[in-house]
Amino acid sequence: MATIPSQTKSKHLRACLLCSIIQHPMDFRKNGCPNCEEIMQMKGSPDRISACTTTYFDGIIAVIDPESSWVARWQRTAKYVRGMYAVRVKGRVPEDVETELENRGIKYRPRDQTDQD
Amino acid sequence: MSGLDDDYPLNEQESDPVEPDNEEEEEEVQTERKVKSRGSIYDALDGEEDEDEEEEDEEEEEDHRGRKRAKHRHKRPAVNRFLDVEAEVDTEEEEEEEEEEAGGDEFIADTGLDDYDMNRRAAVNARLDRERELDDQDLAKIAQNLHERYGRATVRYTGDMNEVPQRLLMPSVHDASLWQIRVKPGREKDIVFSLMRKAIDLEYTAQPLQILSAFQRDSLPGMVYVEARSAQQVNQACKGLVGVYPSRGISLVPIEEMASLLQIKKQDLTVTPGSWVRIKRGKYQGDLAQVMDITENGEDVGLKFIPRIDLNPRDDAGVDGRKRKKAATGASNMRPPQRFFNYEEVVKVYGRKQVSKRNQVYVFQNDTYKDGFIEKDFKLSALQLDNVNPTLDEITRFTRGQDGAEGEHTVDLSIIAEASRKAAIAVLQPGDHVEVFEGEQSGVHGVVDSINQDVVTITAVGVDIDGQKVDVPARSVRKRFKPGDHVKVMTGQNADETGLVVSVSDNVVTFVSDMTMQEVSVFSKDLREAAEVGTGTNIVGNYELHDLVQLDSQTVGVIFKTERDSFRVIDQNGQVRLVQPHQISMRRDSNRAIATDSEGHELRVNDNVREIEGECRKGRVLHIHQSFFAFLHNRDVAENGGVFVTRCRSLASLAPKGNIVKPGTDLTKMNPHMTGGAPTGGMVGSAMTRGPRDRDIGATVAIVQGPQKGYIGIIRDTNGPSARVELHIGNKVVTIDKKKLRRKLQDGSLVPLDRPYNPNFVNQGQPRAPARTPNPYPQANGGRTPGWGGGRTPNPYASGDGKTPAWNAGSRTPNPHAADGGKTPAWNAASRTPNPYADGGKTPAWNASSRTPNPYSSNDGGSAWSPNDGSRTPRPSWGGGWNNSDGWGNASPARPAETESWAAPTPLAAPTPGFFSAQTPGAGWTSAPTPAPTGIAGSERHITGVHSAPTPAILGMDDDDPTPMWLLDPDIRNKRVIIEITGTLGGWRGGELDGAQGYVGTVFQSANDTLVTFNHLDPSRAGTNVQVPINYLSPIHPSETGEHAIPLDGTHKGHEVILRKQVSDGVWEVSKPSDFALVTCLKEKMVKLYVGS
Repeated sequence: MATIPSQTKSKHLRACLLCSIIQHPMDFRKNGCPNCEEIMQMKGSPDRISACTTTYFDGIIAVIDPESSWVARWQRTAKYVRGMYAVRVKGRVPEDVETELENRGIKYRPRDQTDQD
Repeated sequence: MSGLDDDYPLNEQESDPVEPDNEEEEEEVQTERKVKSRGSIYDALDGEEDEDEEEEDEEEEEDHRGRKRAKHRHKRPAVNRFLDVEAEVDTEEEEEEEEEEAGGDEFIADTGLDDYDMNRRAAVNARLDRERELDDQDLAKIAQNLHERYGRATVRYTGDMNEVPQRLLMPSVHDASLWQIRVKPGREKDIVFSLMRKAIDLEYTAQPLQILSAFQRDSLPGMVYVEARSAQQVNQACKGLVGVYPSRGISLVPIEEMASLLQIKKQDLTVTPGSWVRIKRGKYQGDLAQVMDITENGEDVGLKFIPRIDLNPRDDAGVDGRKRKKAATGASNMRPPQRFFNYEEVVKVYGRKQVSKRNQVYVFQNDTYKDGFIEKDFKLSALQLDNVNPTLDEITRFTRGQDGAEGEHTVDLSIIAEASRKAAIAVLQPGDHVEVFEGEQSGVHGVVDSINQDVVTITAVGVDIDGQKVDVPARSVRKRFKPGDHVKVMTGQNADETGLVVSVSDNVVTFVSDMTMQEVSVFSKDLREAAEVGTGTNIVGNYELHDLVQLDSQTVGVIFKTERDSFRVIDQNGQVRLVQPHQISMRRDSNRAIATDSEGHELRVNDNVREIEGECRKGRVLHIHQSFFAFLHNRDVAENGGVFVTRCRSLASLAPKGNIVKPGTDLTKMNPHMTGGAPTGGMVGSAMTRGPRDRDIGATVAIVQGPQKGYIGIIRDTNGPSARVELHIGNKVVTIDKKKLRRKLQDGSLVPLDRPYNPNFVNQGQPRAPARTPNPYPQANGGRTPGWGGGRTPNPYASGDGKTPAWNAGSRTPNPHAADGGKTPAWNAASRTPNPYADGGKTPAWNASSRTPNPYSSNDGGSAWSPNDGSRTPRPSWGGGWNNSDGWGNASPARPAETESWAAPTPLAAPTPGFFSAQTPGAGWTSAPTPAPTGIAGSERHITGVHSAPTPAILGMDDDDPTPMWLLDPDIRNKRVIIEITGTLGGWRGGELDGAQGYVGTVFQSANDTLVTFNHLDPSRAGTNVQVPINYLSPIHPSETGEHAIPLDGTHKGHEVILRKQVSDGVWEVSKPSDFALVTCLKEKMVKLYVGS
């Protein structure tokens, strides 16, 4: 379960570039990304937060039941925690994360809907 | 303490109470680190937040920091370092603090003063042990520890869903449906958040929300989509939420549209370093800026642009906040101009302290300036990325840099190209010549074959792949022009200019404008090959090249050049002005203007003239202004488009026209006597004085079209095709098209305005005697007869002493033409010039009653016209009679007195014995009671009063107008009638030709003279001709059977007839040559016709 931001103004919110979860930057700093902190290492690091999250996203999804929601599945967030997610996030994760993903054999899918297959 | 635990049920660290000492040590290090980096965190994270919030946050931070440090330092040595932490736990939310608290928990559990020392010692020992341990441990192990401890919180990222292709994720019938709900626009996000919170709140209640998800899209305002199994669940979820309108319908999204909702993509606008953007808001709104760098996440863009520094700050002494605020608003009212940063200038205004310098960079008011540019970060959302369209000006300015001397050729074309690429795609058309300037096919050029979105198919023109079709990205091609191409600018500042390309440098094409003959540089994307030459630009607004326009009340000028939205005008003083269309008050029409050239000839528009002085320029008259200035045009004159201005008086016509009236001009229109009954004579003078004023002004008109149809008014002013009409009703002036007006005549009928119209025409039916018209040919006959008022008209031909106006018979004016000058034409004394043709029978008195004495109805046979007796004098014809009857002389004084009676009597009643004694057959008078050919006289006869002295008739041989004006009658004109030169003795040519006979050639008329070409009949002079003033001519009447003649009157007027038989003296029966229908005709009413070849 991710922290649900109390403010809804999107300029106070940031979306994770990898999992697209939306949180207040404070929450990212305190808890990191609830889904991909392991690889993003954002917790407590404002620099990482500004590199791995963005305010430039479009569309907000409240994922209440990720396991059974088609929306979450379509967004590939079905395995993630409940919370607010962005439909589309502009930008790519930092290169080190991308390299790490590659090393682990994980296909990186940018959230900006540039590659659809 | 247990309560604290409850407060943090989710804290995983909480469950680790085992290693308080270790924990503490680690904590210490971490906290310190965090504290140090905190400031920067907030700077970065909160930069976007409002000031207030920032402040709040900072305050909060200060709190944390201050409290923590102070307490740690202060309390640790004294009692235990955990105590204070415990007390502060309430406000702390951070994990590390919670850790500490966890440690404290244990400690507090066994509080007791007895144990205190022991415990403390143990703790110290433990710490020392720990420290020693730490020293021994290698750093890798610490890291390992850390990782284990914190790694527990995170799930290893597997990205397990990423391998599945998106298409396999398409919704199936087993998935829940999407429902669309209407919400209040602007509240979509709030509602999605509310749904989330609501779902969490109700999760463990009896009625949890059964929706699976909810989302909104920015591009779909007023909608929220909820994923649920049924509409009922959606309805339930929305219940109680503000701004949701379930009543407006919860509609199911079709399964095939579900994916699209999440795929909606806004136009992706990307920026790359070097590209151009415009700033959307603030002081630099609309300014062009260049992207220098972009942050990794694409949010912030580093821009470089020309600063706007206020070098005249209004309130630089402002100390208190309010004042400063005021100054700030004042500055925002007036935007400082774009200006490169100049250290000296800024220091001068703001002082040295305000500007600091680091390396090559100046910092001023928190902005950095480099090379004169300001470098500043902007949010991507504050920038306009599309339709930037930087102008060449802006870019040159940019690239020229601060000093302006870096040279114009440093334009970074790649940057411009980048900026204009998008536009280039839009302007490409099949058929355009393009070249590929980047990529594999770089260098290839060809013709655009087709365009398919971003791909252009070109037919290559060139060496080896000639004719092949090549697909290239549209952004990689640019239009290609070569020197010599004729191009037209399609867009931008120079739109519609045409010209010849003189040079091409990559993207910039320079051409010489057809209009200004100046070089213009434009981007090739804005150009198109075009055949036409600057057409359409000769007209700007309502004005056209070579129009005569009124600039102000004193100045007029001629447009000699049109530019994009202005004119070049040369005024009457020869000065050239640049004029905007709105500065022109009106267009002048000089089509009818007439001036006099240096030779006194008439000068009109379109005449070809030359100057007789100065540069002797030739030219065609474009316009004449106030009959004084002439605007000429000559293509060979280079300056001012060939238009120049001179004075009319210094011009001479290139094709001398003399006074010859242009062919095609109908003389009869100019001759008041010839315009059959509609004596326009009076108009001649008035028309002159009117000048160029529109004749329609003042006319009463009726409106026949439009909303005012049926209204009647008076034209007050005209301007081109429209007229300002003052309506009779409402005293209103309206502007209306002339075509909608009809002239309203007095009888109520309407005629179009453009129909020639004579205002006096309406008087035609009135009894006013046209005869009163001043004689337009005054010179010809020595002045107007002033009627009966005793004006004694001097005999114009009198060269003698006499001209006795008196009635005194004793003092007879010698008749100038009379050999025996003794006889005063007594009746002439009553103001009448002796009718030169009047025979004895017709006393001038009769003229008074408007009956023109028929000059030809002589009563004394042909003798009156005998060449030698000066027939124009009364004498030869009836002089004898007069002389013999002295009674006339005596009676005459009475005549003027009884003028009234003159009007009434008809000739028959006239007590002029002489008249009747004349052998004029009665028929002569009755059948043709009026000699006037116009037929007006008949009606006038009765009305015309005593004043009706002059004769209205064309043939009106007014006694003071002896000229044979009938020669101008269209019926008779150009007939070869035989005439005689008379009355020239001592006058014209010294009487050289007096008595010569000849026939009429042509008759032409000018303003002050009427000349007749006189073809000699005299064998010695046969074949020659001479121009004779008309007043020296007298007709020769036919006198023998078989002679050809032209009747001046009656049915056969103007037709050739042959005298068949003499009925009596002076009366003949005539017929046309072709038939034998005899008509009786007076001899005096006929003129002999020349029948020779």
